[in-house]
Amino acid sequence: MDLFELLNFYVIPGIVLGSIYALGAVGITLIFAILRYAHLAHGDLATLGAFIALAVVTTLGVSPLAALPVAIIATAAVAVGIDKVFYDHLRERPKIVTVMASLGIALMIRAVVQVVWGVDTETYSRGIVRPENYFGLRIRDREIYTVIAMLALVGVLHVFLTQSKWGKAMRAMSDNPNLALLSGIDNRKVIVLTWVIAGGLCAASGFFLGLNTELKSMMGWHMLLPMFAAAILGGVGRVEGAVLGGLIVGIAEELSVLVIPSEYKAAMAFAILLFMLLVRPTGLLKGKVL
Amino acid sequence: MEFLGLVNYALFMAIFIAIYALLALGLNIQWGFAGLFNAGIAGFFAVGAYTSAILTTEAVDGRIGGFDLHFVIGWIGAMIAAALVAWPIGKICLRFRSDYLAIASIGIAEIIRLVIKSEPALTNGARGIPGIPRPMSDIGYMESQVAYLIIVLAVLIAAYVLVERQFNAPWGRMMRAIRDNEDAAKAMGKDVEFRRLEAFIFGAALMGLGGALFAHFNRSITPEAIDPMVATFLVWIMLILGGSGNNRGAILGAAVVWIIWSVSEIATDRLPHEYAIQAKYIRLFLIGLMLQLVLRFRPEGLLPEPLRGDQRSAKGGADH
Amino acid sequence: MKTKLLTLAAGLMTATALATVPAKADVKIGLIGGVSGPIAAMAPAMIDAAQLAVQQVNEQGGIGDGEKLVGVVGDSACNPQGGTDAATKAVNIEGVAGIVGPHCSGAVLAAAGSVTIPAGVTLVTPSGTSPEITNLEDNDSVFRTVPSDDYQGRALARTLKDMGYGKVAVAYLNNDYGTGLANAFKTEYVDALGGEITQFAAHEEGKASYRSNLAELAKGGADTLVIFDYGDGTGLTILRQALENGFFEKFVGGDGMKSDAVINELGAENLANFVSSSPVGEKSDSLDIFNEAFKGVGGDPDAIFANTSYDAAFLLALALEKTGGRKEGVGAALREVSNGEGEAIRPGEWQKAKELIAAGTAIDYKGAAGDHNFDAKGDVPGTFALFEVGADGFEVVSEMN
Repeated sequence: MDLFELLNFYVIPGIVLGSIYALGAVGITLIFAILRYAHLAHGDLATLGAFIALAVVTTLGVSPLAALPVAIIATAAVAVGIDKVFYDHLRERPKIVTVMASLGIALMIRAVVQVVWGVDTETYSRGIVRPENYFGLRIRDREIYTVIAMLALVGVLHVFLTQSKWGKAMRAMSDNPNLALLSGIDNRKVIVLTWVIAGGLCAASGFFLGLNTELKSMMGWHMLLPMFAAAILGGVGRVEGAVLGGLIVGIAEELSVLVIPSEYKAAMAFAILLFMLLVRPTGLLKGKVL
Repeated sequence: MEFLGLVNYALFMAIFIAIYALLALGLNIQWGFAGLFNAGIAGFFAVGAYTSAILTTEAVDGRIGGFDLHFVIGWIGAMIAAALVAWPIGKICLRFRSDYLAIASIGIAEIIRLVIKSEPALTNGARGIPGIPRPMSDIGYMESQVAYLIIVLAVLIAAYVLVERQFNAPWGRMMRAIRDNEDAAKAMGKDVEFRRLEAFIFGAALMGLGGALFAHFNRSITPEAIDPMVATFLVWIMLILGGSGNNRGAILGAAVVWIIWSVSEIATDRLPHEYAIQAKYIRLFLIGLMLQLVLRFRPEGLLPEPLRGDQRSAKGGADH
Repeated sequence: MKTKLLTLAAGLMTATALATVPAKADVKIGLIGGVSGPIAAMAPAMIDAAQLAVQQVNEQGGIGDGEKLVGVVGDSACNPQGGTDAATKAVNIEGVAGIVGPHCSGAVLAAAGSVTIPAGVTLVTPSGTSPEITNLEDNDSVFRTVPSDDYQGRALARTLKDMGYGKVAVAYLNNDYGTGLANAFKTEYVDALGGEITQFAAHEEGKASYRSNLAELAKGGADTLVIFDYGDGTGLTILRQALENGFFEKFVGGDGMKSDAVINELGAENLANFVSSSPVGEKSDSLDIFNEAFKGVGGDPDAIFANTSYDAAFLLALALEKTGGRKEGVGAALREVSNGEGEAIRPGEWQKAKELIAAGTAIDYKGAAGDHNFDAKGDVPGTFALFEVGADGFEVVSEMN
């Protein structure tokens, strides 16, 4: 196997897949760090985002990329709304209660998607797109968009978290909630912001999955476990870690068929995760210890 | 609808509830009493179900087993196999705290599921194992359901009594002490790692038994039965909704959740005929909504953990 | 709260009990399918096709003395838990006289083992293809209108060999459907016909990328990819990525790939080298009749397993006409209405069938998806045709044998 074959058919698809996982994993890791629970509705929220974009594309006839901002904003709003209506009053309870609530939310979101959009497999645009050849590298334009958008979104988020007042507040909440509250940080605003970011990234993740393949009502649920693996792999609370984790899980899944039977592809994310937890329990980049 | 039909339906639900109650009891040992966030119930359920299936079915070419043994041996084998699988997993993974353990155990359960789906020589692969004998099955429909219910209930009551006795014994106090304050328990000279492992293995054995009871009830076991949604998350919902740390709560939770799960379909079938298929999606929405409502008004569970002495402040061990 | 919940549950039960007192002399059949769960995209069309049969029966005189046939939809969620639950409700709460479904083999095995066989209710599955269903001890109460994977896999292998396909690679979904077809295909193609399979690999459903799988499959130089998967699920993703990256020139699918989703999403212009097999009636226009009728109610006849679902419901209705709407003897009646002897009945010809049954004449249903002459195990041998994508959807290329 020559180098280009390895890059074209294993590494590049892995990077694209990893970018999609990364977008979801960043949200998961933020929720883990700031709100301190595993949000199991994350995958279905991504499905919702993808279908909102589909609605925009089909009703307005715009290009899918133009629909992405709408989907991000709408899904962020939905995420904030879900938090206000369902999670907010469980805040003082053991976190496991909220984890269960998010499982119920996952069922509810999926039901909404199935009732509103039906269960047929959909695409943003009909037909197939053959890859372009860039010096021997075969890449489709939408794959470039996926990776660039992921890097841009995460880059903006990183700047926000490190430079802005509210970003710093979020990091403070993540590092030491008691101290953060004592120093006068508005807990509720931080939580709303967390959901805006997580919901928006979630929509982007679902959108790019749909753009690269198809939209199905179960698409997000199938992505949930690899996204969690990516978040934990990178280190809880570390945005760069989640990106790194997502890319590693994505590339490892694609490369895995070289060494193990392809029916075990889905096990790859967990195998890496278990190995990493054993040798480095805080994640690749030193994350929180829960 | 005939009265007999209702009775048959109730019997069926009771059998299912009893099987899931066993799973919830097993989880209660792990989570409610030892604070171990095991999200890999499906894995132990699967190991138990398949072990019993291999032990009790007739020999078939192309896969191991078919030992044609008595179902009681199958069930005991299921518990032993689940415990044996739990031992190395616990040994390795119990050092991870809470959410890390959850993701590790869910990963292991997924790997077990993939192995079961992909190794025909071991489990007949994706086709599953049919022809599992069900005790007392050659009598009428209702009679055989009653007979199976009696067997399952006997198993459940035995498990409940044993677990309950352990919980009220010094062992139970020690487990709660470890859950609520690990350092203090360690300082008291308790072997925390070993006790955790013990709880993990006992819980897994009960889950394996639940899997075996399920397989024998359906006379078949296929990989679809060990989907994380129906074999892991559903059990978690039952325990949290019923009240973790309380064995009666676990059983009640199993009953309430399964009744919601099953009866919601009959309720949504009242929608007009044209919406017969949409009704199934709406049903899932209602299930999710009911869960929200119960958690909203009874976040500590329907039957909360009884307050024993001074542990008022220490509910739900995951709240780190 | 506990009492409140119990009251609520009890209230729901009572409301249901009151609501389900059946109108006088309706004959009910259960239509149990994987409405939620992994095959959610396939189930609605299958159920709609079965409902079409129910509708035709009612429009043309109903069962017996004009009793209405009612299809009660149940959700098996494609797993044993859901399958047994839905079957129990159908049998005991709705009092159905027969069941079409469940759709997934695992749910069929469980529902048959714990509910329908003990309760003596006949079950006809339109899509449970697992060979394990053949060997159930079922007192002649488990049937299917879809051929076992074994038949189709072998028939497809013979056809490909006849058509001169050379080296092929096989990708199959890692569930009972994909595994069954792939293994039957492999046995026939390699062992019996001396063909060459360069790569033979299973995949999990629901992943976002299969390009590395495809790259592996392409090693060995096969120019044809045989896909045993569902055309509105993972199979679509695989076919798309294979086409986009040019891994293979020709593509072959089983009946699961003969889906409208493939044409809708990839475009007919890209599918010139794609053929798929699907069960059809032997030299009859039954399939066309069904297609027209299903289009008439807004259905898509190319939906996977829609024709087998229709046949299952229509056959069950014919059997119920024979038994007078009672569940007893449905198994024997199913054999009588479709054993290759008697006046031919094609899809939709309910009135004719009803009159013939009343007159005591033997009838033989020639279904949209085959003649359905059940063997001793309740299986149908199945006849298949190979389809290609034409201007108006799937068109028959050749008969298969």
